[in-house]
Amino acid sequence: MDRDLMIALAKAAGLKKALADHFDDVAAAAAQAAETAGAIRVPTDPAVEPWPPMRADTSQ
Amino acid sequence: MNDLHWLSITEAADAVAARRLSPVELLAALLSRIERLDPRLHAFIRVDADAAKDAARTAEREIAAGRVRGKLHGIPMGLKDIIDVAGLPTTCHSKILLDNVAGADATVTAKLRQAGAVIVGKLATHEFAIGGPSFDLPFPPARNPWNPDYHPGGSSSGAGAGVAAGLFPAAIGSDTGGSVRNPASCCGIVGLKPTYGLVSRRGVFPLSYTLDHVGPLARTVADIALLLDAIAGHDPADPGSAPSGTWDFGRELERGVRDLRIGFIRRFHETDMPAAPEMTAAIEDAARVLESEGALVRTVTLPSLNEFAAVNRVILASEAWSVHAPWLRTRPGDYGQLARRRLMPGAFIPAGDYVGAQRRRTQMIAAVQEAFRDVDVLLCASSMDPASRIEDAAETARTYPRQARTPFNVTGHPALAMMAGLSDGGLPLSVQFAGRYFQDATVLRVATAYERATEWHTRHPPVG
Repeated sequence: MDRDLMIALAKAAGLKKALADHFDDVAAAAAQAAETAGAIRVPTDPAVEPWPPMRADTSQ
Repeated sequence: MNDLHWLSITEAADAVAARRLSPVELLAALLSRIERLDPRLHAFIRVDADAAKDAARTAEREIAAGRVRGKLHGIPMGLKDIIDVAGLPTTCHSKILLDNVAGADATVTAKLRQAGAVIVGKLATHEFAIGGPSFDLPFPPARNPWNPDYHPGGSSSGAGAGVAAGLFPAAIGSDTGGSVRNPASCCGIVGLKPTYGLVSRRGVFPLSYTLDHVGPLARTVADIALLLDAIAGHDPADPGSAPSGTWDFGRELERGVRDLRIGFIRRFHETDMPAAPEMTAAIEDAARVLESEGALVRTVTLPSLNEFAAVNRVILASEAWSVHAPWLRTRPGDYGQLARRRLMPGAFIPAGDYVGAQRRRTQMIAAVQEAFRDVDVLLCASSMDPASRIEDAAETARTYPRQARTPFNVTGHPALAMMAGLSDGGLPLSVQFAGRYFQDATVLRVATAYERATEWHTRHPPVG
């Protein structure tokens, strides 16, 4: 992930203190996030819903 | 009686019932062992000796009066320190929660007390069940009793180390990406991640809501069945709790595996994450043992292990971020470095990626369900390598993700890891069995057949 983008996203997430005190850890976390998400083959079929599906409460 | 510390729950319960052993005597022997060995193993964050002695005396009185609650009555056990015990801190092994005194027992704690178990104390974990092994926390990491220079696995590290070392016969841990089964694998014992929702998570500090499971660790499969009988059941206070059911998890233990259909997932350890040769040999041997016991073993294929792991990581990181964001924003320095690095990725995962991972999860669940149309149980690797040296951070970082446990956190199927050999270096090797939803008893049946056909469960670490 681009350094400026990483810093902007971290600031937007409220991680200013972590950026100041633990910059390498923030950068490592951002790199891990980018690497992991790219390994998933997200379904192309729009009908595939996330797990668990929303269910209405039937107890009342 | 000699060697009280190696008694299984079943053996201790029988001795108590026959008046050959008292709960007070058993606890005293284990407290003495804890005092001698735990300074090296660090399985405990806190030993609650006084409360345990009170509970053991109460159990002794009740049993003497004929009010026996069951096999767990008077049996000492430990709880991972993310599980609430009323009046004790639930620290999650972290500076963040050092003063977090629980106001009430977790449901699992209450169920164990109801069964008469004696809670000996709170056990070491990776920080918040994710950051470890770490040396920058308020408490040291637990160490492997087979060789204290090695990692006992995690995140239920103290549970694995303590059960294997004979500090207590059983413990309760949690499993979000393999955290019950990893210490069971590294320490040469048995660990079960039950079906999702079978055991309540109320009062257990969350890591990832849709992946978290609570499960038992013990030295025998029969003991796991006893523990599951005690802790399973519907809990209206847990939104993910399964509907009520009637279970007897020990009912199938004696049935053997003749004609049982076992699907062997070879791709996990052969191609997706090639296992160390001695681990491969142990897994292949486990398949041969079950075949020789009459099981019908055939190869099955599932989605790749790397993709299961990626789905697990995206979901875990996103859900954990929603728990930890307030502290990571204001107190990042109060986390250890590993937890900080493993909890912050959720800040960088777009919501769409999280939903995408949950949609892929739907397909992965369908794939595993499809496999279970043709087989009764799945067999595969647990860990791809024996334990790493605990102070070798690079080797731990290389080997820790090399495992096949996350698929069953993603799908929620019951999965059990157990000892399947010893490496040339004297460290435990392991195998894993998984079953259909709520057929945890069938998983235990296969594990029992394997246990009885081998002798690994009779081996103990040379810890003294």
